[in-house]
Amino acid sequence: MERYDDRIETAMLPTDKTLKKRTSVPIQLVRFVSLNLRMVRMAFKAHN
Amino acid sequence: MARVVVMGAGVAGHTAALYLRRKLRSEHEVVVVNPRPDWNWIPSNIWVGVGRMRARDVVFPLAPVYKKQKIGFIQAKALAIHPEGSHTSAQAFIDIEHTSVDRTGTQEELAYDYLINATGPKLNFDATPGLGPTGHSLSVCTPKHAEQASDALSELITELKGGQKKRVVVGMGHGTCTCQGAAFEYLFNVDHELRQQGVRDRAELVFLTNEYALGDFGVGGMTFSQNGFLTSSQQWAESLFRERQIHAIVQSHVQRVEKDRIHFETLAGDEDSIESDFSMLIPPFKGVGLKAFDREGEDITDTLFAANGFLKVDADYTCKPYEEWTAEDWPKTYQNPTYHNIFAAGIAFAPPHPISIPRVSTKGVPIAPTPPRTGMPSGVIGREVALSIADMIDHGAQSPQHTASMARMGAACVASAGAGLLTGTAAAMTMYPVVPDYERFPETGRSIKDTYGEIGLSAHWIKYVLHFVFIYKAKAKPGWAMLPE
Repeated sequence: MERYDDRIETAMLPTDKTLKKRTSVPIQLVRFVSLNLRMVRMAFKAHN
Repeated sequence: MARVVVMGAGVAGHTAALYLRRKLRSEHEVVVVNPRPDWNWIPSNIWVGVGRMRARDVVFPLAPVYKKQKIGFIQAKALAIHPEGSHTSAQAFIDIEHTSVDRTGTQEELAYDYLINATGPKLNFDATPGLGPTGHSLSVCTPKHAEQASDALSELITELKGGQKKRVVVGMGHGTCTCQGAAFEYLFNVDHELRQQGVRDRAELVFLTNEYALGDFGVGGMTFSQNGFLTSSQQWAESLFRERQIHAIVQSHVQRVEKDRIHFETLAGDEDSIESDFSMLIPPFKGVGLKAFDREGEDITDTLFAANGFLKVDADYTCKPYEEWTAEDWPKTYQNPTYHNIFAAGIAFAPPHPISIPRVSTKGVPIAPTPPRTGMPSGVIGREVALSIADMIDHGAQSPQHTASMARMGAACVASAGAGLLTGTAAAMTMYPVVPDYERFPETGRSIKDTYGEIGLSAHWIKYVLHFVFIYKAKAKPGWAMLPE
């Protein structure tokens, strides 16, 4: 359909390596810790 | 003895009630008025909508929690506020109408010394002809709606497995909608479920949105630092759409929804339509329709409420162009400027203006997101309002001492892109502050260090864990107050 946002067609496409990292359990376990720390930091910033 | 009445037991109201009870001396009363008997962890409604959870997994009954916490609970909807009392008494009160099975329709007055309006949004399906479950589109805004969506999705998958080809349209049901994140989540979860069922190649998925560009999310987009570059949430979102082969139509206002066709117009003033076999469209929000009356019974609704039905608070409501908006326009204490014993929390407060650029089509139709008030800010506002009221009651504070400006507050959002212990992913985003402050952060309006986005399985784990954490907290289990909002 011509209304579709054509920017999507040329957007960055993750490589297979990037996609595998996103669901790699060892990598994601490390990311889990890191993201939780970021979110706790945000929670404290929400305290003004 | 003082009585604090909290209207609404969503994230903001329930949080406020728990903190009020925790902080106030025991002789003071905390009473919650809520039309429904249960509390809903709304972020997980998405998973109900794709069949990964059932409605019973995302709700729990309020009465036992409030009984244990010594909080009064009345299952009723609030109808009107009488901040000056009546001609017979200066005692302020609200009109309520019971919604419990045994007292449905019974009306009574409930006196208050302090009032928190945490009534949340009215899901304004009526704003768009044909919108909503009683019309021609699905919703995931309530557990019941989400279960209906799940049933419809199951039927769709059966048809796809039978070899049929279908188009799925998910997005915003009006040009002024908020909650783009919820629609985004639902669409990507549908994509994931179709892939898991092996039928994704037979479905065309389309995101229909009022955002000017993908990645706006009602907050004007974000700038992230990634791999040594500054990237926009627009580029980030577009990448995810390309990866998942999902189309998008931006800058659109849905005019009407028919059984298998959605009519919309664009910022450029064009009118168009798209066929759809499965439509989930978020409705626009407005206030729940509370009225207000003075002592003589004269209607003073406009004094307390903005035109959108949300309660006026300590925000700068001066009508001014986008270029003159500042972070200081946003409220800090959420106290009503006219009646100082009335506060609003969560979605119920009237924002001064949107966060995203307010655009209008060539035909004069507003097509731009209204500002989101997501879970973290809503909970924080509820807590801080409660603490302010507790100070005013127990310590004689003459004004609210606690603030929660969205221009001084960060937020963390996790948008699911598909559920599964080893196959799920989500987009985790943090932003500080929620409302951009270009005086403090001239380059992008937000802290680059604290504004961040990441996609992965770990974010899905976080969202899944948070489901249980926040339900635990809302049930006021031991240690609940140590868990952040």
